[in-house]
Amino acid sequence: MPILPKKKVGIVACSGEEMPEGTVSRVAALKVLEELRPNDTVTICLPLFLAGGEGDRAFARFYPTVAIDGCEKRCAARATEMYSGKPAASIVVTDVVSRNSLGPIRGSRTLNEAGMQAADLVAQEVARLVDRLLGRTERAVKEAIVEEPAAEVPEDEEAAISFCSCGSGIPVQKVLVNGRVVTLIALPAIFEQFYQSGKRPGDGTTRELLEVTRIYNPIPPEEEAAYAEALAREYEKYCRKQAL
Amino acid sequence: MRANRRVVIVPCSGIGKTFGTVSREAAYTVVEDLRPGTAELVALSLLVLGDEEARAAVAGHPTITIDGCRLACATKMVQESGFPVARSFTVLDAFRKHRDLKPEGISSLNPEGQKLAQVLAEEVAEAVDELINCYTSIGGSHADSA
Repeated sequence: MPILPKKKVGIVACSGEEMPEGTVSRVAALKVLEELRPNDTVTICLPLFLAGGEGDRAFARFYPTVAIDGCEKRCAARATEMYSGKPAASIVVTDVVSRNSLGPIRGSRTLNEAGMQAADLVAQEVARLVDRLLGRTERAVKEAIVEEPAAEVPEDEEAAISFCSCGSGIPVQKVLVNGRVVTLIALPAIFEQFYQSGKRPGDGTTRELLEVTRIYNPIPPEEEAAYAEALAREYEKYCRKQAL
Repeated sequence: MRANRRVVIVPCSGIGKTFGTVSREAAYTVVEDLRPGTAELVALSLLVLGDEEARAAVAGHPTITIDGCRLACATKMVQESGFPVARSFTVLDAFRKHRDLKPEGISSLNPEGQKLAQVLAEEVAEAVDELINCYTSIGGSHADSA
């Protein structure tokens, strides 16, 4: 397996705009992402996830996710399970509200006091889950928050090509397959690992590359030959560049 | 008998980027401030995951999407769910027309972002009126005008 970036937890919030509890899920998710665990979490954009965003789906295949849903319909948890894998943990705002006997939540656009309280409680619960999933102690969390700079999605185009738009830091590479541009998840890391283990371009290496690439990317059987050709070509280029 | 004619607004729901926040704020401005009673909000995730109420709303009324970026998740997903999109807007296009209103912030927008959301909401509100008028002119009516 290629060595991928530091393990983080993906936060998927339902963000349902039509109900206050959806807003609680969104506010809580942002609180975790921006204030409580900025270095340990990334947001998984639910609409992009639903629309087929490979970066976000790939992240959820690699790393644990926490789904925050406003109601029992559990859109975020269901979508994560449908497109990537079962979330490592799942929280429903209405459960937190009733467990803590909070007053009625009002205001889809601007939450009332009970809503803000619910968002705080949900965020704290998510932060605890993140720590548990990452095997963090309380002290390690404090140190990490102080020492690590906040992760930022690269702004320039070149960097955006090299990493998933989900902000996970998973490297991606665009290659030409059968005349169309395909984004392959983890390919730069796969190339690096192959090169470092002394594998040089050749039929055997191409077959291996195809198998490892397939773990992270869907490769239709009828296009295997075209993918193999593209991988062989790109790996040869990569090796030439390393030799310079 | 008068039909309850409304327009459905579907914002992109993105929570990780500023443009998603602007799209949501614009949607709220339309349904709560500019065209309350005429425009209603439908959450994208509910629609995509097959919620019957959300599907019925989109099936029964013209739909306007407000996307944050060029990925156009809201527009794509409404269409892929089998429904037509009557009008689509993107925050990016609005920003291109109003370069002085550079939005910043995700949890809370800066004043420029709020202004951009307002400007976009006004454009969307005009589209709501056009769609309602179009319906009325072909024989329907609008409950709120009763």
